[in-house]
Amino acid sequence: MKFVVGGQIEKEKIAESIRTLAGDKATSVVVMNDIEAAMALKSGTVDYYLGACNTGGGGALAMAIAIAGMDRCVTVGMPGKILSDEEIIAHVKGGKSAFGFTGQDIDVVVPVIIAAIYS
Amino acid sequence: MVQEFLMRLIEVDPVKAGLLAAIGAISAMMANRGIAVFHDGLRPLIPEHLEGRMSRKALAATSFALSFGLIIGFGIPFSLTAPIILVHSLLLGTDVIGVWCSNSKKGFVLSGIIGAFYAVALLTGLKSVVELFAMLPVNFMSNLSKVGDPIVVCFSLFPAVVVGYQYGYRKGIWVLIATLIGYLATQSIGTLSFGGFIEKPVKLDPNGSALLIAMIAMFYFAMKQRPPENTGSDQKGANEMLVGLFSSRIARIQKNKWLLVLSGGLTAVAATMSFSLLAEGPVSLQLMAQGEQNGALLVALARAISFVPLVGTTAIATGVYSPDGMKFVFVAGLATNNPWIAFIAGCVIMLMEIMLLAKIAIWLDKYPGVKACGDHIRTAITRMLEISLLVGGMIASNAILPGMGFMVVAGIYLLNKTSKRPLVEMAIGPIATILVGILANIIYIMGLG
Repeated sequence: MKFVVGGQIEKEKIAESIRTLAGDKATSVVVMNDIEAAMALKSGTVDYYLGACNTGGGGALAMAIAIAGMDRCVTVGMPGKILSDEEIIAHVKGGKSAFGFTGQDIDVVVPVIIAAIYS
Repeated sequence: MVQEFLMRLIEVDPVKAGLLAAIGAISAMMANRGIAVFHDGLRPLIPEHLEGRMSRKALAATSFALSFGLIIGFGIPFSLTAPIILVHSLLLGTDVIGVWCSNSKKGFVLSGIIGAFYAVALLTGLKSVVELFAMLPVNFMSNLSKVGDPIVVCFSLFPAVVVGYQYGYRKGIWVLIATLIGYLATQSIGTLSFGGFIEKPVKLDPNGSALLIAMIAMFYFAMKQRPPENTGSDQKGANEMLVGLFSSRIARIQKNKWLLVLSGGLTAVAATMSFSLLAEGPVSLQLMAQGEQNGALLVALARAISFVPLVGTTAIATGVYSPDGMKFVFVAGLATNNPWIAFIAGCVIMLMEIMLLAKIAIWLDKYPGVKACGDHIRTAITRMLEISLLVGGMIASNAILPGMGFMVVAGIYLLNKTSKRPLVEMAIGPIATILVGILANIIYIMGLG
């Protein structure tokens, strides 16, 4: 699986988190600016997009929604609300490939997303 | 109850209430028509609705979900610590109002009326809560403002943190040292009297000067970073590709420019020090509350620059702008103290932002360091706020309820991390302090203290 980190903030932290969690199973984890990352997802050069911003849906997913399409994107964590593990797993299984969340949710949601992708 | 509320309406300065009502009405109407929304995450959903892939009902539900937590957990607590409204509490609300009203002529008018009412209710509501707190047996309002004390000094540190994020620890430390030297130097000079040649000595603000030095260093590093040399082909930058893909959406923003220009001008007036009605972010809000105009101006400027790539790219990709644009209108308000000049400056800035949108984006391709710097500015300010508001919250809480105050704030902070509905981390200081204030009154009333 190939991952791209887009979004606006905490990109290195997210990339590091994916590398640690997915280990050898991730063929590549790259950090790009959000526009290039969204284009990489649309063109299929990467399989999954993860991004953070202060609201989980703004800078994190705006370009992914505009370029790759709304139906591939989901906000799994926003201020005051994080989706339950079951909901996140259902979104991954349902074919979502771009995930947005806030910086403070990284440690909570990224492990669930990665586990769901490889289960 | 209703009578009491109406009485408060009369007490509120009609000019301020009218100004805020106008901003609320215009913003809600622009959200209703999908011309502009404040929430960066709502912007990409508007074309999904306009182009028929998302129902109005789903859009309304999403906008509520996106904004409600931020208004309650972020906008309102900050607005309560100073008698200034954090712009988020107003414009996230008008986003929801505009989207909830139907997509018809009636909905357009209705959204304006509700938006104006919401703005005035926000102003009087906040005033009522502050007055209510002041009437309690244990008055904690004077201590509540202590939450912001560390910010007033710590805000000049953020450029050092930005450079640290972007170019590593070592360069960050150098900027930090430069900031501290700048602070010490201005403090030791104190006032400039030019050997008695001028009557009124110029008082130098050590925080402001330190921040200015640090910001120059930060942008120097960011501007120096250039894109890698073209590898043979005439490859286009990411933003230039974006402009090419979405030129019809840029045209849509430019078609709707006049409402946006008006909204920008009015916001600039509300953001002047003399009105002190609206603040663009928690840091400048605290600085405005403490009368630190220069500091507030510089922080607002840095934040506006950091929002250029985010607002610019989301606007280009969606055809939807923000009622405050790239937030330079707040800088205009703080730089000018005269409402008329602020209004004109706000209008001109908004018009320029809109007309130059594509040019700005393409120009940014040449300076990839600036875009990265923008992302880091927001991360660094968030981090700086988290730590200084947590410490500020502890100091304030302990002043209200000695001993226990520390414990309550630390407890809320640590337990929040385990919550599935966590509070915004940087709002924990103000929220916990308000809770400690209420707790102090309960303890007093029950005679436990």
